[in-house]
Amino acid sequence: MNKPKYLYKSEESFKVFEFTSEGSKGEIRKLVQFSETGTENVYNLAFGDFDENTQEINDFSVTNNGDSQKVLTTVASTVYAFIDKHPEAMIFATGSTNARTRLYRIGITNNLTEISKDFVVFGLMKNGNHWEHFTVGVEYEAFLISKKENI
Amino acid sequence: MKTIDKLNNSKIPVITFNKKLEQFREVVLFPEKLEKANEILSKVGIPENLKR
Repeated sequence: MNKPKYLYKSEESFKVFEFTSEGSKGEIRKLVQFSETGTENVYNLAFGDFDENTQEINDFSVTNNGDSQKVLTTVASTVYAFIDKHPEAMIFATGSTNARTRLYRIGITNNLTEISKDFVVFGLMKNGNHWEHFTVGVEYEAFLISKKENI
Repeated sequence: MKTIDKLNNSKIPVITFNKKLEQFREVVLFPEKLEKANEILSKVGIPENLKR
């Protein structure tokens, strides 16, 4: 993906990343985490603003820093980095709100050709009872991404 | 060591490490999101194509 993104840093297991969003609201530190779930090889992707004062994460806030696309592209890049380190991993992602989930769907749609070169993407149907291959124009509740070799 | 061409064409940028991030490695920073993920996964599982 050659779209604009922030430089980011990680720790050695590539499960936690950080970068700084820069925009009209100033500099905001963002953390991305891939957490093990109860399902083998499935990791939950989440990211949010880190408040230096409270030392807490907020993934519900609407930062409105004017760089949402750049933030999403940066987070997408961390997925590549994480899976490069953990090739058998499946990445689960959903938004903290319906609007956020829709934003992720739009991001996947806009980059589907590029993503599909290396990954397979599944969407969880809105009734929440089965996965299907990601289809443009369909509303999903969550997403699951894995390297194509894992099928 | 990767050649310049490989680095330029890589989808993964050159990553620098921050040792301070290690403090978060074993901490669940987004417990509600993880709980929601586990609820969904326990109900639906993973796609058949990905099961081994």
